[in-house]
Amino acid sequence: MTALSRTWGRLTLPGKIVFTLIPLLAVLTAGLIAFIIVLGGPIWDLILANLWFIRFLVAATIILVITIPIAFLNIYLEMKVIALMNLRVGPDRVGPWGSLLSVVHGLKVLIKEDFTPTGADSIVFTWAPVVTYGAAVMTLLVIPFAPGMAGQDFNIGLLYFFAVGGMGVVGLLMGGWSSFNKYSLLGGLRSAAQIISYEIPLTLSVVGLLILAGTMSLNQIVMQQSGWFTDWYVFRQPLGFVIFFIAATAEANRTPFDLTEADSEIVAGFATEYSGMRFGFFFFAEYVNVFIMSALTVVLFLGGWNAPFDIDALVNVLNGVVGAVIPSFHIATPFSIALDPGSLGIPLLFVIGLAPLIGTLVLAAPFYLVRSSMRWWVALIIGFVLFNVVAGGLTFAWAYVSFDWVAGLVWFMAKTFAFVFLFVWMRGTLPRVRIDQLMGFAWKWLLPAALLNLFVTAAAVVIVGS
Amino acid sequence: MDRALKARLQARFGDIASGPIRQRHDETELRIPAGAAPDVLRALHDEPEFGFLMLSDLAGVDTGDHMQVVYHLWSETTSDWLRVVADRIPRDDPRTPSITFLWKGAEWMEREAYDMFGIVFEGNRDLRRIYMPPDYTSFPLRKDFFLPDDAARSPGGGVRHMERSHAPQGAPAGTIRRVKA
Amino acid sequence: MTTTAGPHQHASADDPRVMLDDQIGAFEPIPPYPPRTEREAEFYTLGDGEMFLNMGPQHPSTHGVLRVVLKLDGEKVVDLDPVLGYLHRGVEKLCENADYHQVISQVDPLEYISSLFCEWSPVMAFEKLLDVEVPRRAEYIRVLSGELNRIASHALFMGWFALDLGGLTPILWSFIERDEIVEMLAALTGQRMLFNYFRIGGVNGDLNHDFMSRLGDWMSRATGQIESNLTLLNENEIFVRRARGLGVIDTETALSMCMSGPNLRATGSPFDVRRAHPYSIYPELDFDIPTRSEGDSLARYLLRMEEIKQSLRIIDQCLHQMPDSPIMAKLPRLLRPRPGRAYAAIEGPRGQYATYAISDGTDQPFRMRIHDPSFIHLQSVGLLMKNNLIADTMAVMASLDPVMGGVDK
Repeated sequence: MTALSRTWGRLTLPGKIVFTLIPLLAVLTAGLIAFIIVLGGPIWDLILANLWFIRFLVAATIILVITIPIAFLNIYLEMKVIALMNLRVGPDRVGPWGSLLSVVHGLKVLIKEDFTPTGADSIVFTWAPVVTYGAAVMTLLVIPFAPGMAGQDFNIGLLYFFAVGGMGVVGLLMGGWSSFNKYSLLGGLRSAAQIISYEIPLTLSVVGLLILAGTMSLNQIVMQQSGWFTDWYVFRQPLGFVIFFIAATAEANRTPFDLTEADSEIVAGFATEYSGMRFGFFFFAEYVNVFIMSALTVVLFLGGWNAPFDIDALVNVLNGVVGAVIPSFHIATPFSIALDPGSLGIPLLFVIGLAPLIGTLVLAAPFYLVRSSMRWWVALIIGFVLFNVVAGGLTFAWAYVSFDWVAGLVWFMAKTFAFVFLFVWMRGTLPRVRIDQLMGFAWKWLLPAALLNLFVTAAAVVIVGS
Repeated sequence: MDRALKARLQARFGDIASGPIRQRHDETELRIPAGAAPDVLRALHDEPEFGFLMLSDLAGVDTGDHMQVVYHLWSETTSDWLRVVADRIPRDDPRTPSITFLWKGAEWMEREAYDMFGIVFEGNRDLRRIYMPPDYTSFPLRKDFFLPDDAARSPGGGVRHMERSHAPQGAPAGTIRRVKA
Repeated sequence: MTTTAGPHQHASADDPRVMLDDQIGAFEPIPPYPPRTEREAEFYTLGDGEMFLNMGPQHPSTHGVLRVVLKLDGEKVVDLDPVLGYLHRGVEKLCENADYHQVISQVDPLEYISSLFCEWSPVMAFEKLLDVEVPRRAEYIRVLSGELNRIASHALFMGWFALDLGGLTPILWSFIERDEIVEMLAALTGQRMLFNYFRIGGVNGDLNHDFMSRLGDWMSRATGQIESNLTLLNENEIFVRRARGLGVIDTETALSMCMSGPNLRATGSPFDVRRAHPYSIYPELDFDIPTRSEGDSLARYLLRMEEIKQSLRIIDQCLHQMPDSPIMAKLPRLLRPRPGRAYAAIEGPRGQYATYAISDGTDQPFRMRIHDPSFIHLQSVGLLMKNNLIADTMAVMASLDPVMGGVDK
């Protein structure tokens, strides 16, 4: 007994934790196994019976979790790009080129004091960020990232998007109202006025597109734009695209329409009294919103996950040109690289094991042989890095060609982050508009233009389409 | 030095002036009783031969014996700064008419003079303290207000709370700096 | 077991945390004493649907510790009441208790953006008291360094103004300019901000190699750099639309508000102390006094940018005409001017800085009045802001370019 307690006393804190956890885990695992043996069958049946629900839960969880890297990436991008535009260095301490700064930011926000001011309506105050963040996450559910990669493919996807996306302003208003601060109140009311005003041109600008598309399912809208980039809706609805993008900027509360949180006037507006993770939720929601608005612009007007070129048509042209010279040359469309690693059998393991070794040696050799001053281990490191780059590139190329969703995701993300960059660029360049200019612009310019766009589209469809 | 200005001022304000018109460097000095300041300044501002449209500065002065309000004016008609000294304002109850009817911008400068010297400008609609806290009772730029570390002159000596130790009535006679200004 | 509650656990009627809910009104910026003046009574009475908004003293864009109480009708500013004194340090009293040389370092931090001008007018006033003739080379150095400081100040103004309108980038671009100049002046004076360089009867040190090489380097590309910085804002539609027609003031009102400097010249009046009441070597230099007639924030901005170019001209001439002479007049260490009065005004980047000094024959000034343009201009904010929106409060204030160090003295 004494020996045991003495040993226990010598353990460090991590040691104690580990030695507590190991028996605990063993017991739990045993229990779990027993549980599965006894109740596994019925549970499995239950899962199979409610597969759609389980699938929805999984999709929702993935969507919820994926907002974090998206927001981190957006925040880092914004800090770095604006820094470069401001002729600053920007974040460069944490991680390579400061890329982990947003992670540290997130941790900082988590451990800060979560403060509720006296006089604030604490229930509303607490729920406001949840509503805003929830609205942002829920809109992400209908965005088609790639073929077959959408949380849910509603046939009223766009309607759902606008309906749920409009709920974000409720959170801002709640936060502004409950903070017991006049700056927050002004910010909340500004956001209500602004987002409700811009909701109208935002929705109207898409109606023309809906007439052309004939569907509200975002997946189908994307599929209609497949082929060459000229098939994208931006070329059929240029005015609608411009209106949509401007209104989307206002919806996402971004410069030059960031009156809601104008730091030089009303000191962060609705977020003035927020701190800690509640502020973090607002902050996250803003950057997720930027991503979502860019994604929706891409989905509606820029072909979503479609590549700007039609790879099958390109392959057919290649077949025609080369086939005229070499009759036997033919690449089957849809183009894919058939690779069946399983056919190798047991030797596959050797290939997997030896490939990095051989690759590293082969790629390291030129460095070692050409530069005699180089140490062998430096050459090996270079070779290993190069091998990884080459292997990664090859794997990526293979995946790109073989899997639709990889290609789709690549194009979707590339286009979306181009738009995120555009948002950041605008923030680095433009001052803020005034509230009367903002309202005047929405009602006097964007709304008539959106109506005109709708009218012209409808007339064109009636005249040409029938 | 603009001799012609001196002659003009002598002709126009010779009877009001409470002292000789002095000139030195690029400054001309006109000395008037405090009560006459509105009339004199209005005349200087409005009459085309003077045309002193710009109030360059308004300062309160405590000479140790009495208070002054000093106006510095600028005009296109002369190359001199005109200094109008509203003189002989009693120290115990300093009162003088305000000139905010002429230059609205004098309001804050008068507030400052009130805050620092306790000169009451009658007619200024916003005569409250501008720098010091509203419940402050002393007038810091008066000559009987000493800095705590001013060991040579301080009546209390040592470092104490300024307002406690240097209230206007606390200064014994003979310690105040005086000047003939 | 009984324990005595610590003071932090004891909830009583005196505990502010308990009182707060009952005293919601205590959060209003209404003074807790009866109104002292007519104006105060009028301001602190709310009309129908109006509310107070307390801006500052900790607010990101009040350029220091200024507190402004806004009376709002929705987003519209009905009236406002600036509350000063958060930075007051009684510099006039300090100057009365310092000898004539020490005064220079006391007045330095007044307008810390352009400290040389704060030194210039006291120094000129004391030279008048002492009847000292300043050597010509010293005058040239004063003008040269002063104009450099003016450019630095205006460059910073550009960034501030844009920042208050929500533009992030211009302030960092304009800081490049300012930083180069400030480093240059540091090479000349030994300090980046509070230069403490002018002396009664001259300047502290002669031009040195470090300063001259930096200056030459900068002068060769200054025009191009400034032009390229200006394109950031001058061609920005949002900026121009926000600044145009904002806070308009006409010449007559501006004169009655005692305004001077670029704010007055933007209304069309050509008043510039350098020409209206020449001092130093300015009569010998060839430069224009730019004016604009609109009197709005955009005019004030554009006018300052025009002044930068004129300052570059002056610097160029100073460098070409720089005479060779001593840089200090011969003066005793301890200055005791004869009793007398002197007034000296100079044209700073914000307007007319003036000093009224009275000497009583001792080694300390008897009275030193410092006239600061920021103070004067800040009081017209209320006039310019009537019936504008909250968003423009800071823009109007920034367009007047006050520095709180100077306002609060």
